[in-house]
Amino acid sequence: MSLAKKIACFFLLISLAFTTHKYYLSLTQIEYNKDQKSLEVIINVFMDDIELAINKEYAIDLNLTTKDELKDADVYFNNYLTKNLTFTINNELVKHTYVGKEYEGDLVYFYLEIAVKENPTSLEVFNTILLTYFEQQQNVVKFKNGSKRQSKILSKNSNKALLNF
Amino acid sequence: MKKLASLAFSFLFIATALMAQDAPKKRQKGHTDQNKFRQLKDVLPTPNNRRTASGAPGYEYTQQKVDYVMDIVVDEDKNLLTGNESITYHNNSKDYLEYLWVQLDQNMRAPDSKTPLAKSEDLGNTAFNGPVTFTKNNLTKPADFGFKIKEVNNSTGGSLSYTVNRTMMRINLPQPLAPGNTFEFSIRWNYLINNSVTDGGRSGFELFPDGNKNFTIAQFFPRLAVYDNVEGWQNMQFWGRSEWALEFGDYDVKITVPADHIVDATGELLNEKKVLTKEQRVRFEKARTSFKDPVFIVTQEEAEKAEKLKSKKSKTWHFNAKNVRDFAFASSRKYIWDAMAVNINGKTVMAVSLYPKEGNPLWEEHSTRVVANTLEEYSKMTFDYPYSKAISVHADRQGMEYPMICFNYGRPQPDGTYSERTKRGMIGVITHEVGHNFFPMIVNSDERQWTWMDEGINSFVEILSELDYDPNFFTGNLPKDIVRYMSMDQDNLSPIMSQGDYVKNFGPNAYTKPAAGLYMLRQTIMGPELFDYAFRTYSKRWMFKHPSPADFFRTMEDASAMDLDWFWRGWFYTTDYNDIGVKDVKKFYLTDQPTEAAKQLAKRYNMNLADYEGKLVFFEQEKEGVPVDSKKALEIDVIKNHMATMTEEQRATLKEAPNFFYQVTFEKPGGLVMPIIVELEYVDGSKERHTFPAQIWMKNDEEVTKVFRTTLAIKKITLDPDLETADIDTSNNSWPKKDDSKFDKFKQKMKG
Repeated sequence: MSLAKKIACFFLLISLAFTTHKYYLSLTQIEYNKDQKSLEVIINVFMDDIELAINKEYAIDLNLTTKDELKDADVYFNNYLTKNLTFTINNELVKHTYVGKEYEGDLVYFYLEIAVKENPTSLEVFNTILLTYFEQQQNVVKFKNGSKRQSKILSKNSNKALLNF
Repeated sequence: MKKLASLAFSFLFIATALMAQDAPKKRQKGHTDQNKFRQLKDVLPTPNNRRTASGAPGYEYTQQKVDYVMDIVVDEDKNLLTGNESITYHNNSKDYLEYLWVQLDQNMRAPDSKTPLAKSEDLGNTAFNGPVTFTKNNLTKPADFGFKIKEVNNSTGGSLSYTVNRTMMRINLPQPLAPGNTFEFSIRWNYLINNSVTDGGRSGFELFPDGNKNFTIAQFFPRLAVYDNVEGWQNMQFWGRSEWALEFGDYDVKITVPADHIVDATGELLNEKKVLTKEQRVRFEKARTSFKDPVFIVTQEEAEKAEKLKSKKSKTWHFNAKNVRDFAFASSRKYIWDAMAVNINGKTVMAVSLYPKEGNPLWEEHSTRVVANTLEEYSKMTFDYPYSKAISVHADRQGMEYPMICFNYGRPQPDGTYSERTKRGMIGVITHEVGHNFFPMIVNSDERQWTWMDEGINSFVEILSELDYDPNFFTGNLPKDIVRYMSMDQDNLSPIMSQGDYVKNFGPNAYTKPAAGLYMLRQTIMGPELFDYAFRTYSKRWMFKHPSPADFFRTMEDASAMDLDWFWRGWFYTTDYNDIGVKDVKKFYLTDQPTEAAKQLAKRYNMNLADYEGKLVFFEQEKEGVPVDSKKALEIDVIKNHMATMTEEQRATLKEAPNFFYQVTFEKPGGLVMPIIVELEYVDGSKERHTFPAQIWMKNDEEVTKVFRTTLAIKKITLDPDLETADIDTSNNSWPKKDDSKFDKFKQKMKG
């Protein structure tokens, strides 16, 4: 399929969504691991949403959970996440390591790890996962440091969460 | 006896002391009953002789009946459906009717439809378009869809006055229709059939590259609206989402299509000899006794041959259906056709599938078998499937239900391969749409008003049916699957008890949440035995009738002796969520030495503890391990002596003396009340479950405390270990706080 055709199909799919029972939500859980001096990040998204977004963004066909699943699917996942999810710890933009992904039911879980120099006192999360593709997309960000917890709900209108400790 | 009394005495004092510690407060304001367990009397309609307080139809319950005789012609080239219907309306109510309301569903997509006008638009969201989409959204004139009403006549052929208000048509009766009387009239109409793939819609046709079409036709005729004692006439407009309320009746329908089409529809085929070949009839006979595997009536080879030709002739298929609330049919020369017999409690029902070669190999493998399994499983949960057949028709991107026939998606790649997700989606949608035969086609609730009553209840039985087909099936409708939705921002949630057209996040609201709630009721709150009896009672009471939400809520309680008002109120009428956690665990040990707490208590009440020496046992809170002077219950003289006063028989009735006392405080940050399911894991690795009913929250909605008296020390406490209660935050569900994180587990797995 050409990209144009894919785009056409994509918008069609959305307009026909009335019979499917869908909602648009991702959850990013961030936990500070004192012993490892790292932020551990688990992101879950609906598999069909992320597949559609990445297929369209990179003009590919991931074919997730089929025998034709792209062998370098992880590369696309990581590229997509790098572009759409960034972390600024204590005012310093940091890079994540992509640990891997796993499929569970209709969800994909991504695991990211970020090395941290010191106990984070502030964390800014910029999250645009799936926002380009789904008007109603909500991205929930939860942060946990010891017994302290915070959570924010991001959407089209606000894609940044600033958490202070 | 005296000693026991003094023990009791000491507990009493502790309780009073705690109350006495509260500082005097400013006088508080009064309040009305806001208890989560208050009855639903302020919310449910007052019972009457038509709908009883027990949730059953009352002795004055009536229901209208509408019979249709129709002649339908499908013009494949012009996509035009032409129809002529005679309607017989039976007024079984005690009311005089000045008019009748008829539903004109096709008008929802007419050029003057208000559905697109009522939608907010946003260019920003479609910042770029492909040319196809751009043309469709910006350059295309609206197609001339919608019913063209040609004639509305009375039974003697004279024209009848009528008024069309968008998707509703009022037949202005010459004189009011008296109770018990019938009114006959006829309508002639036609409409342009939409392409269900490009124009959208629950029915229509799919165009294949070779010019062939797959017609999946429904909402194709003017249909009577429901008149009852709940809504009067249910004539809320069809905006496109909230579906239908329809009366039962008998249908006699002749469908004329190209001669090389295969047709199947609601009801019995009356002219088999005229429309089927001898070979096809022989194969059908074989299918009627094939209970294990489907039998092909049209093979793939035959279908592929048929789709290469195009007949100029036409053929008329004649169907008859008794006691159905609607009628639909499917027609194409592309169909492969298979069927098998299903034994429903001694009665043979046919499971049937129609699909083009594009559906294979997935469809010949699963479709008919899933239909059969669904009929069996739903019949167990409700009543024996009363119709003679159930048909699953392959349709691209549709999932839509009608009596005895439904249209389902699930198409493999062009090379015939398919993902697990495609297969799961296909099995799921067929189970779901065939299941709709029970809800709402037979237990005929008002879909226009309450989506959950058919979608939610059906999705619940769907879970059980899918798990029977494949125990590892991912249903997506379990309590744990609704957690993500229930933890969303409150701005994006609606209570289940909301009219479907304005519900936010329609899918999880009207399908998953009610399904997960009923699953929770069955598995966790009521238990399958009580639940199933009550659920079957509801299904049987309202079979071929029109139940309302109150009838469901009341029957489930009436047939089980479970007061579930708290559950209905929380789960169905609010957007509250469940979050229960372990707030605090205090460990106590026994001692015969007065504790600091006891001394303080004694002082406050001017008691001399020395007077009670050797007469009391004390609970001391453990601070840094259990001290050496702690004692087990049977090592304490006062208990020992008391035991000695008992007879051998009395002693035999006692439990093993506990060595450990854990006072656990449960907190409830969530607004819902739920049972507390506690798993205790002991030092030796053994586990024990305790379940406290939701009523534990009756007197305190914020926190409650339980004491666990154990012989072994507790290593770990876990709440809701099997994720049965849709607890949206499980990070407070364990003590000590969890240490084996999901992240670590995954990292270990990746290392291998």
